[in-house]
Amino acid sequence: MRTSGVTDVVVGMNPNDHLCWPFDDFAEFRARAAEFLVDGLRQGQRVCYVARGDDLATHLESEPVLGEALRDGRAEVTGLESRHHMPEEQVAAYAEATRAALRDGFTGLRVAADATALVRSSDSLDAFCRYEHLIDKYMTAEPFSAMCGYHRAELSEPAIARLNSLHPVNNAWCAPFRLHATADGIALHGEIDGVSLDLLSLALQNAAPARDPLRVDATGLRFIDHHGLLALQGYARSNAATLVLRSQRSSLPRLVSLLELRDVECVR
Amino acid sequence: MTGFHHETAFYGSDDDFLAIAVPFVEGGLRESQPTLVACAEKNTALLRDALGRDDAVTYVPGADQYARPADAIASYRDIFGKHAQQGATRIRTIGDVPHPGFGVPWDWWGRYENAVNQAFAEFPLRGLCPYDTRITPPEVLADVERAHEYIATASGEHEPNPGFGTGGELSRPVPDVLERGAPLVSLVDPTPAAVREAVGAAIAGIRLSEDNSHDVVYAASEIVTNGLSHGVGPVRFRLWADDSRVVVTANDRGPGPSDPMAGLMPTTVTRSAGLGLWILHRTCDYVSMGCDEDGFTVRVSVGGSEPGHT
Repeated sequence: MRTSGVTDVVVGMNPNDHLCWPFDDFAEFRARAAEFLVDGLRQGQRVCYVARGDDLATHLESEPVLGEALRDGRAEVTGLESRHHMPEEQVAAYAEATRAALRDGFTGLRVAADATALVRSSDSLDAFCRYEHLIDKYMTAEPFSAMCGYHRAELSEPAIARLNSLHPVNNAWCAPFRLHATADGIALHGEIDGVSLDLLSLALQNAAPARDPLRVDATGLRFIDHHGLLALQGYARSNAATLVLRSQRSSLPRLVSLLELRDVECVR
Repeated sequence: MTGFHHETAFYGSDDDFLAIAVPFVEGGLRESQPTLVACAEKNTALLRDALGRDDAVTYVPGADQYARPADAIASYRDIFGKHAQQGATRIRTIGDVPHPGFGVPWDWWGRYENAVNQAFAEFPLRGLCPYDTRITPPEVLADVERAHEYIATASGEHEPNPGFGTGGELSRPVPDVLERGAPLVSLVDPTPAAVREAVGAAIAGIRLSEDNSHDVVYAASEIVTNGLSHGVGPVRFRLWADDSRVVVTANDRGPGPSDPMAGLMPTTVTRSAGLGLWILHRTCDYVSMGCDEDGFTVRVSVGGSEPGHT
């Protein structure tokens, strides 16, 4: 079971959790990232810190558990420059690293990354958002977990909201909703209305269903209006897929029925 | 005949009602036209007695057909569309449109009477909306007269109505009785999300079904969205409630929608614009939209046994 929600605690996360961590202060982020990685080590995972800045290894070595792990190879520090540019290639690289970790006797792979430098331009942000959903999908099936840090001062609020909306776990309410991968589709949490419609469209761009139908788990969705529902339906249609919505609430089937959306199926 | 022949009639006695309604229904039957009766209980009983034969008339309980104006339009369009598809070249319907004389607030029915001139224009339809002058308030009669192109009389005349088309503007908003108390929520230019949160908290202790609770939150979100998108700020949102009914209002300084169909018909089912107001007209117990010196106000009531009005 993956964690979904807003939290400021990074300890106790599952082997396939995916955290978005906008931060104001580098020291604060490093401290949280170190906690996240140390917790991974406790769970028998190989851990990796991907970041910019030369002082990083020095900082990590000052943390006793991480320092020891760095020396004996259970932990490593890599630079952002070692990353692949294509989202698919980077996901493949992490998949290979996860397999290697399992081969070496670890229970999985855990990564903490300050990814700010990768999303500064709008093109790189688009590509990275695609990567975020692809890697999120990978995590639904494999023991790979990640904490993605973003330095607020260097990014716009809309960019932060966009990144936030693509992670199952956030450290703050930066986006009105969260869209993340599930084993057979996507899940939505939070609230979707006319105001969040553009953000939803952007998030959906990354979530093309691999096969018909588009299964959307809306169990965690507190509110969705006709704007959001029609956007989901339109997105499914443009991918030649039927929209299957899962929700325990009666409001969603009522809205579907009222709007006579015959190609939308509601399930509990 | 093509197009919608929208007719009213004013009667002051049961005999006069029958003198208007019986020839109207019999005329339809004589020409084998699909003929619907959607009258209130008493008038339906009077008509059944007078007509004697039931088989050719489709009786629809008025209380069902006229639960909400947007429901009535959707249901009638469905019925008329099917008849037209089956080749009917003329259709007749007679119905008692609700008003305060039946214990129901008028505003949205007043808008209905205007909107159907467009909403039913594509059907070969003759629609008669008789009003009982013994129970219909004068301001309702005035609205009715402006909304119907023809007037029928007990003496058998069917005349063009000189007063037709002089109305159509939004009525003045009539406050709900709950508004005599202090609002539980009052927000200026809130985001729809902030409104939903405030409404959710305010209605937590009120006796509402899950659907009704959702309808209040949806309506509150939508009327504020509507004000922020189409109105002239500031948009003021307020909520009142008793133990089983909630009233929410959104006011802005603009003139309100110019389209008489606003809220009563979906503009298009494929585009979301204009759908929001229509959805709450389909789900909530009462929606009024009106203008006065304070601007435009949408008022929505959900829950309770019936919407309160003064």
